[in-house]
Amino acid sequence: MLDYVPGKTAWYEDNQPREGKAVDEIWIGDVAGSDVPTCGLADRIGEVRRRTGDWDTCVVVDPEGVVLGLLRQKELAADPLATAEAVMRPGPKTFRPNVTLQELLKSMRDHEIQTNSLVTTAEGRLLGVISRADAEATLAHEQAAQTRTDS
Amino acid sequence: MAAQVFSVSEVKHLLDQGAQLVDVLSEDEFEHDHLPGAINIPLKQLDATTASRLDRNRPVLVYCNDFG
Repeated sequence: MLDYVPGKTAWYEDNQPREGKAVDEIWIGDVAGSDVPTCGLADRIGEVRRRTGDWDTCVVVDPEGVVLGLLRQKELAADPLATAEAVMRPGPKTFRPNVTLQELLKSMRDHEIQTNSLVTTAEGRLLGVISRADAEATLAHEQAAQTRTDS
Repeated sequence: MAAQVFSVSEVKHLLDQGAQLVDVLSEDEFEHDHLPGAINIPLKQLDATTASRLDRNRPVLVYCNDFG
C-alpha cells in the first residue's frame, strides 16, 4: 500500500480533474484564460509591448513557466530599452486553480481588485489569468442558468 | 505503511500501471470531490472486510486531504 502524502489538495492545485458534486462548481482553473502574454526577465519592454497587443498585462516567467513578476500598463509604458526584470512588479498575488469562482470574486471585491488575477499551481507555474469582469460575467451567467434549472 | 511523497506525474504513472486509488476521507467529503476513479473507504472503516474490495494483485494508493 502506497501513501500519496500530498493528497488531493496537491492534485487539485496542479489543476488536475475531479469527480463528485464539485464538478458542478466553477473552479478558477476551469475558466482561467491561458492565452495571456508572457515574457522572460531579460526581454526588453519595447519588444514585450509589441507582443502583448491589446492586453494590458504581461506575466514575467522563468523557462519552466513559473511566475516571477507582472507587467501592467504602467510598466508596459516604461523605457522600451528597459528589461522586464528592471520594471516588473515582483511576486504578484496568485490564486490556486481549485479556488471557486465565488471565493475569487470575494477576494477581488474585498481587496478592490479590478484587474487580471493570476492562476498558478502550488509551485508557481502559470496556468492562466482571469479578469474581474470575466469572473463577474461567468458567475452571473452560471447563476442565471441555475435559476432557470430550479424554476 | 511507508509514507512516500509522490508527484502528480508519479501518481498518474502508477494509475496507468493499474494502481487502485483509495480515498480515506469521509463519505460526505468523497461525495463532494475526489480524484477520478478513486473508491472511498473512510479511514475509520478501513479493515479487512472493507479492504476486501481491493484487488490484492494491484498496487493500492491511498490519499486524504494533504500533508496534515
